[in-house]
Amino acid sequence: MSEQTTSAVTESQARRPEVTTVGPPVPAEMENPVFVVENLDFYYGSHQALRGVNMKIGRNEITALIGPSGCGKTTFLRCLNRLNDLIAGTRVRGRIDFAGKPIYDPSLAAIELRRRIGMVFQKPNPFPKSIYDNIAIAPKVNGMKVNMDDLVEECLTRAALWDEVKGKLKASAFSLSGGQQQRLCIARAIAVKPEVILMDEPASALDPLATIRIEDLMSELKKDYTIVVVTHNMQQAARVSDRTAFFNVDDSQGVRTGVLVEMGTTHQIFTSPTDQRTDDYITGRFG
Amino acid sequence: MASVLEERREPAVAPSLSARSRRRSELTGPDRALGAALTVAGLIPTLALAFLAYQMVKEAYPAIIFNGWHFFTSKTFTIGNLYAPIQHKRGYAAPHGASYGVLPLLVGTLLSSVFALILAVPVSVAGAILLVEKLPQRIQGTLGIFLELLAGIPSVVFGLWGVYTFGPLLSRTVYKWVDSLGIPWLSGHTGAGEGLATASVVLAVMIIPIIASITRELVRSVPTVAKEGAVALGLTPSETVRYVTIPYVRTGIIAAAVLGWARALGETIAVLIISGNALNIYPHSIFAPFSTMAATIAAFLDSALTDPTGMAVHALAQVGLVLLAVTILTNFGGRLLTRRFADQALPVGRGV
Ligand SMILES: Nc1ncnc2c1ncn2[C@@H]1O[C@H](COP(=O)(O)OP(=O)(O)OP(=O)(O)O)[C@@H](O)[C@H]1O
Ligand SMILES: [Mg+2]
Repeated sequence: MSEQTTSAVTESQARRPEVTTVGPPVPAEMENPVFVVENLDFYYGSHQALRGVNMKIGRNEITALIGPSGCGKTTFLRCLNRLNDLIAGTRVRGRIDFAGKPIYDPSLAAIELRRRIGMVFQKPNPFPKSIYDNIAIAPKVNGMKVNMDDLVEECLTRAALWDEVKGKLKASAFSLSGGQQQRLCIARAIAVKPEVILMDEPASALDPLATIRIEDLMSELKKDYTIVVVTHNMQQAARVSDRTAFFNVDDSQGVRTGVLVEMGTTHQIFTSPTDQRTDDYITGRFG
Repeated sequence: MASVLEERREPAVAPSLSARSRRRSELTGPDRALGAALTVAGLIPTLALAFLAYQMVKEAYPAIIFNGWHFFTSKTFTIGNLYAPIQHKRGYAAPHGASYGVLPLLVGTLLSSVFALILAVPVSVAGAILLVEKLPQRIQGTLGIFLELLAGIPSVVFGLWGVYTFGPLLSRTVYKWVDSLGIPWLSGHTGAGEGLATASVVLAVMIIPIIASITRELVRSVPTVAKEGAVALGLTPSETVRYVTIPYVRTGIIAAAVLGWARALGETIAVLIISGNALNIYPHSIFAPFSTMAATIAAFLDSALTDPTGMAVHALAQVGLVLLAVTILTNFGGRLLTRRFADQALPVGRGV
């Protein structure tokens, strides 16, 4: 992917992944962001994991979060659906608005929020139930009035899994391969018709072929969903995302804390980043 | 097994003998010694059980012949009149009037242990899940210690507590209320609280620590990421327990329940104290006095030893044999259940 070099380009450009995102290019300024993050600080106990993050996430776009290990990508992603609430001793400062409402407002119910924001984890984590139930459980408990068989088929089809499992919907989800389980988790996430899907390195445990399938799936889902994806794979960010946010560990203030270095359209970040650290990272000089 | 694998690894052409023996000899002395030691260690429980069963059958044999089917059809268990002329049957002698019927004891054993299980499993599972999911680490630890202490209390203490304090208390309160509902078999003379109901409750208290502490470890081992998957879908904590935690621990809970059941089946002294020790009748209500196989063996052994024909001891051994058989059967039943559920839902290598 990155080997398409000509003799004229510099060495650093030679290692730049080529941006091949599907769909029309996104405007530099977004009109109607789904998330607006302002001055976000995040603490695990006394350890500050994120400092002063400002970010907007565009509707029906794929936003990639990249950066070296430990820079707070996962932490940030889990702030967006308040999943960090589950970890004792964590603290959030600043503001995150989702669809115009502050999500850390005490009056907002986290459970309601999470129904509108799906999540796919790094490790496939299906319910210890049948394939069918994996899709059907959440819509059922959320009281969605739908034909469940149709919904199951629709979601599995969208997740490009239907053909592989249609004959064994009653089989345990654990009987599937890792890549199939991950697509099942994506199908499970879209079954509740969320507005956003958060993905934390969804393909990191998968082989190249399964990875391509997941990436195709993301481009396909972009029509209806907003996707935020954490990835370690620069090529992947360049292949699928519309915008890219680069996080890094900053120790200029004496403690190692995650910061957002810069964010822009994926094209801009991968061709003309404004910050030297971004350039170093995407060209593979560190991280 | 090993030879099959070896065969597969060999090329299609006839394997050379030397290559084979070289592979064999890769197992060095210490490895072989360890293998042998593990084999012996693994055989010990099996051999012990086989030896025990053999001894029991040998001891019970005269009674098995003497009793015939009477053992399983009669309600009466009495060692007879030791001073009257001796009776003979199928070549064996027994005191006059002796009758060895196991049926009410078998019924008592099954009823009390099953009731105990019905009470103990939900309480244990709910308690273990609450403990792990809801309470802060520090309180969890303290409560865990109490749970283990509870498991270590001698059963005679439970028996005394049941008969002097807990039984009468239940009789005055809960039993009165249940009785007033007028449901057949759930109403009757509640007395001082001795009988099937109190024995079941006390048995439940005795097996709760066993089931709860195993369940607690199982609940702890449920992967965080599995639970987070449910939470991220907007499931409430109780829905998460229902769709993630319980399915994950189900086979383990069955195994824990079987363990608790075995304990309740064999419990002797506590039941003997609380049962009201009713002989030769089936419990006509849940509050009625009754007896179990284990309690009866303990209660009768003294007088059985004075039987000059020795048949009473043989008969008690036969009762013990039935108890052993029931315990082994429940164990196998539990095993089948766990296997079935394991096939259904759990990831490979999980479960008990
Ligand atoms: N549960 C936790 N408790 C305490 N500290 C944590 C916890 N989770 C993460 N951290 C810390 O927060 C920082 C950011 O972690 P995070 O997992 O968000 O990084 P990441 O960018 O996702 O890294 P990776 O690319 O390796 O997944 C790290 O220093 C990490 O040690
Ligand atoms: Mg991470």
